[in-house]
Amino acid sequence: MEQKQNDLVVQMKGITKVYPNGIAANQGVDFSVRRGEIHALMGENGAGKSTLMKMLFGLEQPTEGAIFVNGEKVALHSPTAAIAHGIGMVHQHFMLVPSLTVAENIVLGMVPKKSGMFIDFKKATELTKEFAARFNLAVNPDAKVADIPVGMKQKVEILKALIRGAKILILDEPTAVLTTQETAELFRELVHLKEQGYTIIFISHKLNEIKQITDRLTIMRGGKSMGIYETASISEQEISRLMVGRDVILGVQKDTAAPTDVVLKVRNLEYTNEWNKKMLSGVSFDVRKGEILGIAGVEGNGQRELVDMLFDLREPDSGTATVNGKDVIHASQARIRAMGVSLVPEDRMTYGIADSATIEENLISDRFEEKRFNLGPLFNMKAIRAESDRLIQDYTVLCKSRKQKVKMLSGGNIQKVVVAREFSSDPTLIIADQPTRGIDVGATEFIRKKLVDLSRAGTAVLLVSADLNEVMELSDSLIVLYGGKIAAYFEDTSQLDDVMMGEYMLGLKRQSDEEIGRVCHER
Amino acid sequence: MWSQLLSTILKEEFLFSVIRITAPILFAALGAVIAGKAGVTNIGLEGIMMISALFGVLFSYWTQSWLVGVIGAMLVGVLLGLMMGFFALKLKTDIILAGIAVNMMGTGGTIFLLYMFTGMRGNTGALVSPNILIPTINIPLVQDIPILGSILSGHAILTYLAFLLVWLIWLLLYRTPLGLNIRAVGENANAASSVGVSVLKIKYIALALSGALAGFGGAFMSMYYSQGWNSGMVAGRGFIALAAQAMGRGEPVGAMFSSLLFGLAQALRTKVSGLQGVSSYLVSSIPYVVTILGLVIYAASTIKRVKKARAEHPEVKV
Amino acid sequence: MKDKRMFGFELVRGAAAILVALGVGTIFIFLSSDEPFTALRYLLIGPLVSLRGGIASFNTQGLYTILAAMIPTIFTGLAVCVMFSSNQFNLAGEGVALTGGFVAALCGIYLQMNSGLHAVVCILIAAAVGGVIMLIPALLKVKLGASEMVTSLMLNYVCMYVVLHYLNFVFADRSKGSTQTFPFAETARIGALVPGGSKLSWGFIAALAFVVIVAAFMYRTRWGYAIRMIGINQAFSKYSGMKVGGTIVLSQVIGGALSAIGGSVEVLGRYSTFLWKELPGYGWTGITIAILAKNNPLMVPLAAFFIAYLEKGCQLMATYCDVPSEMIDIIQAAIFLFFAAEQFLAGYRQKIVVKNTRADLAKVSASAQGGAE
Repeated sequence: MEQKQNDLVVQMKGITKVYPNGIAANQGVDFSVRRGEIHALMGENGAGKSTLMKMLFGLEQPTEGAIFVNGEKVALHSPTAAIAHGIGMVHQHFMLVPSLTVAENIVLGMVPKKSGMFIDFKKATELTKEFAARFNLAVNPDAKVADIPVGMKQKVEILKALIRGAKILILDEPTAVLTTQETAELFRELVHLKEQGYTIIFISHKLNEIKQITDRLTIMRGGKSMGIYETASISEQEISRLMVGRDVILGVQKDTAAPTDVVLKVRNLEYTNEWNKKMLSGVSFDVRKGEILGIAGVEGNGQRELVDMLFDLREPDSGTATVNGKDVIHASQARIRAMGVSLVPEDRMTYGIADSATIEENLISDRFEEKRFNLGPLFNMKAIRAESDRLIQDYTVLCKSRKQKVKMLSGGNIQKVVVAREFSSDPTLIIADQPTRGIDVGATEFIRKKLVDLSRAGTAVLLVSADLNEVMELSDSLIVLYGGKIAAYFEDTSQLDDVMMGEYMLGLKRQSDEEIGRVCHER
Repeated sequence: MWSQLLSTILKEEFLFSVIRITAPILFAALGAVIAGKAGVTNIGLEGIMMISALFGVLFSYWTQSWLVGVIGAMLVGVLLGLMMGFFALKLKTDIILAGIAVNMMGTGGTIFLLYMFTGMRGNTGALVSPNILIPTINIPLVQDIPILGSILSGHAILTYLAFLLVWLIWLLLYRTPLGLNIRAVGENANAASSVGVSVLKIKYIALALSGALAGFGGAFMSMYYSQGWNSGMVAGRGFIALAAQAMGRGEPVGAMFSSLLFGLAQALRTKVSGLQGVSSYLVSSIPYVVTILGLVIYAASTIKRVKKARAEHPEVKV
Repeated sequence: MKDKRMFGFELVRGAAAILVALGVGTIFIFLSSDEPFTALRYLLIGPLVSLRGGIASFNTQGLYTILAAMIPTIFTGLAVCVMFSSNQFNLAGEGVALTGGFVAALCGIYLQMNSGLHAVVCILIAAAVGGVIMLIPALLKVKLGASEMVTSLMLNYVCMYVVLHYLNFVFADRSKGSTQTFPFAETARIGALVPGGSKLSWGFIAALAFVVIVAAFMYRTRWGYAIRMIGINQAFSKYSGMKVGGTIVLSQVIGGALSAIGGSVEVLGRYSTFLWKELPGYGWTGITIAILAKNNPLMVPLAAFFIAYLEKGCQLMATYCDVPSEMIDIIQAAIFLFFAAEQFLAGYRQKIVVKNTRADLAKVSASAQGGAE
């Protein structure tokens, strides 16, 4: 037993990573994994888990620190080097080529050949079948990856790693995209692998999963390690305290909501994605003036599709959505904004900011055409400067000046720029999609407080968040999305507990249609 | 006038000339296909053709061997492709700008190099003799078939190579590990690199192959088509090749058909401009107008598919 | 402090790129010339310094020639700045400059107007035609998603052949030996800025005025702002409610108008008839200038001066030494490649960033400790 304790298959010592944009994603992190264990790497989004694992898999190089595999110091300059050391990774966003078949994807980079130069397709298929059988991971070798379900894609990813001789498997939030059955199946497969002597690093922030299958866990917060623990000897409360910190959990004080008229009215939205997967079905709800309606749910249950549709990024198959009676489904973003809708987008680097533009330029992107910022054909620079200085001050954006480029800011301050713009346009409806993901505690608290203030001042708020604490604490009432359908509606969030929420979020329970129907306040 | 035109078009020489004119475009278009499959826009094809056309003539003159000339031209194409790769992949120059730079070298740099090597200006008239031009071959049996024989037989060796390469490139892309890697890199570079396929290496290889193909195209132009190098000889064929690749949906066979379409337009231009009362200049613009129209038709037919795919997979290039 | 250090780095990087390019040029001079040092002297100082009998003196006429050569390229450089700012690789500046020159020439020949007004009207009509031509790649891009790069490349040839057709078959002055139009009316010509027969016309002042106008447009108006934001992040711009399609079209129409103005000012200022028989090259030079200027209109004159200076130097080398003037294309290509290379000397940049971040982290932890005490 003593021997086994010291049998560390992976050790990372004093790892610091500074990205070219100046963000320090890891600061002096120590991390180690024992042979043959399932080890959880936990932390909120942006805590630095992915960065740490990218370095272990050779996708990024540490700015400082050393990595040891099987006790030997290694330089992992590329995934190839990592694979050579027996490390394989299953990424959160699948690393698959959609137009290739399952077998082609699996043998990519190590293709069996015939006649010296051609691909031996038959052998590739056989190899796939052989490994699939050995590890009990059922896949269809000849199907195009574009056409297979998500669960199978994940198996393809795991097979890809195993076939390359991986003994250490890194799984980056593997259950985020899976159904309950698929998750259960995955866990059986992982335990099976563990029994065969494989080591698994399991990135997650879902407590129940961690408790269920891991032996030990490492918690990260704000780019630093909060320590390594035996799963059996640490309570969920303790984990959650280490992960999120108590201050945030008790951070928000708010009065009872007094909702009035319906602002956003969504009826019977249906959406089928390109691979013919039904992502939303029969989604109907109302958001009223003066309330925060939260949408909870495990990611990938239709939240993104729903928000995209409300902001003209996708077209639904059918259904309607109106803001104060006006159609938003067929309106352009310009028209939607003219109706007084603001969006804090989930993917802030793509939609929220122009990274090489200045803070000032980012703050006026939705209002630069307004009369107050223009004098005839020219900009009224004085008014623009005053506006941006005011917003920088009101939203405590830490910066050198309004002329600083946004990409030079920290994640939290970038989000503050987005929020400053979206919250200050006197909106009638704010859609906040993962508004505090991956940002520091201070900025998180600030943004949450602003959201509450705005709703109490009469704005309708639709809050979409995968962060259960956030969505439960901020929302006045709440719906749960599961499998593209509304699984539950809670008019009052003060009596909720996570256990019950979890059951709805994971599809173990579903309210009756009548109960759910109460979220539509207007018939 | 129209009946006159019709009677020229229906002759065998016309179809023969369509094939001849298509060949250099096809070489470059295949170069665009390979680069495109690896996710690279090679706008430098034009310049690569110019430069390798010059070196084709120079090498063949120096060695008095057409074969050395062709191989030399191809190798120059490879070098230029690798140079674009170095700047675009290593130093992160925008690939479009790297291509424009190669084209600049193609326009002025070639004149400079020609002078540097030979003291000649503008063209290589005096260097070229029939023995260093790419030979033509008659295909036994085929040449005896009536009509078809005189269309298909008697072309330059490189013309046959161009059409053979359509099949070879298809084979390369769809039947070899390298082709699998190229397609994977072009469609999802992260997927390729996550299994240890070096994205850089594959893109270098694709650019080198692309350069080699443009090099053949250049050799074809100077060592057969124009029988010598001159400063205006490529005349946008490298750019047309890009359009052919786009219209051919990035596939070798598709690119061949669109190249043939442009070959037809160009052949038509030579025929029509010989007719009375037709402006040779307006007729000269036909291939370029056809290209624009072709792109419009192609774009209009794909726009829906691409839009939907983009919305679903912003991370994957469509 | 942090930004200043980065700015200094960018300056050094640009200078290094230019030096490397000149180094490449020097290598080629040594390879091709029997008198490389004389050739180098002509290239580097020849444009502005004349050596007569061993005495160096400032060459005023040389300066005028350089400034005159900047006139069309400032306009095409500005055009490319505007189009590239919206991230549109429209390369039709060549064809549009040619067409603009031709249209202005025709207006100069066949319209009758007062002196002063006439030239302006010619240029405005040319600008309008240039804008309309650019609608083709712009609309095809916005409406159908067809690559503006490929269509604009094709458009260059179409423009060229159409102009040549009209020049040869419709508007040619048959009394002349070479193909050219009839002379423009005196009222349409752009007068010389300095006496003494140099080609430096008032067009130079117009070009500088346009630098200010375009800079103001790009940085001080809502349209320029939208163009720049779309260029940086189109998804963001659309999400912010900007009219992305319209703005992309606008940037290319403005690019077309500016290119055409460049061509027309050059034709009316330098010549008395229209006699271009091929694409003038200003479009491509405009791209080099825009790259050197990093799409900043205010830097365009500087970049245009630099290129015109090099071009003049190359011409002198060709005239007085045995180095062909096409040398300029090799130097331009080298500048282009290194200047646009983001990673050129990037190792140093990363070091600066790491250093800055460390300093920031230290500051933060120091202030946190200070707060705790």
